[in-house]
Amino acid sequence: MTVHKQDFERIGPYVWQLPAGYRKDMRVPARLYADETLLRATLADRSLEQLVNTATMPGVVKYAMAMPDIHQGYGFPIGGVVATELPHGVISPGGVGYDINCGVRLLASALRREEVAPHLSDLANALYRNCPSGVGVRGSVQLQGNNLDKVLVEGSRWVLRKGWATREDLQHTEEGGRLAGADPAKLSDRARTRGRPQLGTLGAGNHFIEVDMVAEVFDQEAAAAFGLFEQQVVVQIHCGSRGLGHQVCSDYVRRFQKTVQKYGIDLPDRELVCAPWDSPEGQDYFAAMACAANYAFANRQVLVHHVRRSFEEALAGKGLPARALEIRQVYDITHNMAKVELHKVRGQRRKVCVHRKGATRAFGPGAEALPEDYRAVGQPVLVPGSMGTASYVLVGTEGAMDETFGSSCHGAGRTMSRKKAKKSVRGDSLRKELEAAGIRVRAGSTAGLAEESPAAYKDVSRVVEVVHQAGIARKVACLHPLAVIKG
Amino acid sequence: MQRHFQEVEHTADWAVRVRGRDLAELFAFAAQAMITLVTDSTQTEPFPVARRIELSAPDVETLLVDWLSELVYLHETGDVLFCVFEMEEVTSAHLRATVRGRPGIPMKKEIKAVTYHGLEVRRIRSGYEATIIFDV
Repeated sequence: MTVHKQDFERIGPYVWQLPAGYRKDMRVPARLYADETLLRATLADRSLEQLVNTATMPGVVKYAMAMPDIHQGYGFPIGGVVATELPHGVISPGGVGYDINCGVRLLASALRREEVAPHLSDLANALYRNCPSGVGVRGSVQLQGNNLDKVLVEGSRWVLRKGWATREDLQHTEEGGRLAGADPAKLSDRARTRGRPQLGTLGAGNHFIEVDMVAEVFDQEAAAAFGLFEQQVVVQIHCGSRGLGHQVCSDYVRRFQKTVQKYGIDLPDRELVCAPWDSPEGQDYFAAMACAANYAFANRQVLVHHVRRSFEEALAGKGLPARALEIRQVYDITHNMAKVELHKVRGQRRKVCVHRKGATRAFGPGAEALPEDYRAVGQPVLVPGSMGTASYVLVGTEGAMDETFGSSCHGAGRTMSRKKAKKSVRGDSLRKELEAAGIRVRAGSTAGLAEESPAAYKDVSRVVEVVHQAGIARKVACLHPLAVIKG
Repeated sequence: MQRHFQEVEHTADWAVRVRGRDLAELFAFAAQAMITLVTDSTQTEPFPVARRIELSAPDVETLLVDWLSELVYLHETGDVLFCVFEMEEVTSAHLRATVRGRPGIPMKKEIKAVTYHGLEVRRIRSGYEATIIFDV
């Protein structure tokens, strides 16, 4: 199936829609947020076919959606948002993905770039040393006995009890760093085995820690609420639930191959397997997914502890003011998750299960789920760009609440396969280019660097401009990289 | 070593098309394809660690996902990379194999999972073919 530009109705300057009649198994229309250039890029791979597939899911309401960073995934496209009406609408493990609660965390220092500049190499070295990254790496915390179960139920609260987090960190984390409904009994032994040694690890692939500076502030009020100012040194952490989350998804995608037959659910792709929310199978998956989500919150929280240690090691005793070592958490967002939320459907607030697969929650002002200090302005939406390019901090809007189940984009979005990227970019040359631009690079794999080359990604500024212009998030600040740490 | 698979364009993840004269070959070549993804070079003997694998599944696609997922799990949890795949029996619902490998082989890439996306084990004139997408 090939989707063409002329198949779309243009609903607005940045909104394109395939009508529900486009394919006979669609239950709702399929919407894409994009400008002309991004739409053309999207037509090049199979992501729109994947978007159409998501419009067939039982219980889907309003429309299946994709954000402008859409690209081809498996099952759902990356950038996909699908809400199903509860209690009978479905929940889909493939709609959440293998890296459950993969997300981004933003930390803010009190330092300006020129204060850190002389010590940047030391800081990059300390981060690379203290934050375990790469394939098969073990964390500094080994979860023996019932400690794993505690992490699965308590998430970041467990880390707080260990003394490696602050109360403010948890307040500034989606769901407070703990998703309710977790039940460790719903996890396989394999998931547990994979989870025990990996807490506090970054992993490989597109996961990273990046030291950035706030290059430009667009929205002074929101930036002030988030504690951001120009030239400030900040840190982004991007990672997820590691092998434990991968195993949970694998287990339930396999189990649901039968479940769809039991409930007579007919789907165009086996990766989309799902179960009614109110079925025993659907509830089991949600309870297991919540465990993986909590593991991911705790994972990023332990990494925050390592980041703070690294700042101390690199900057203490260097004649900087005492505030140099205060690292505050701005926010932590998840971009692979299914969550139960209240949204307006057919004119009424209804309970829905929002699947965000490579998409970020972007709640607007007044949302009860937000911490008090952000409630008046809306939720920070963290959008990392490709390696070595800009990243953005956005804020959620009323527009997102009305149109996208409170969702927005999550990154730049790939345009080039890893195979092509490796052919067209040499990892060692890229490393030199980044270093020449003043960006410190600490990476275990040169080939991995090439695959994550900026040339393989869309222009994040264009992606962000679309969500800003479409009104489903608003630009607050732009970040420029100073140091990149990768596996 | 002759390659029995072909990399297929995929924007975000890694896709391979594998062919084998029979199911046993298809499964062995699929595992070899996965090994080339996670390591830099062809691995040579010795392979002192052996492990028996026996799996059952309701259909051949699930069996293929189970087989590759088993290897992903063993690689991650045992620190042993299995490179040799001796397929003793592979039907559409059952698999018996011995895999051989050794610890300490550096892995350059992490496979998160083996997906069902678009997965179909097809009969072709020369045997069987499958396109497998790995989440990386």
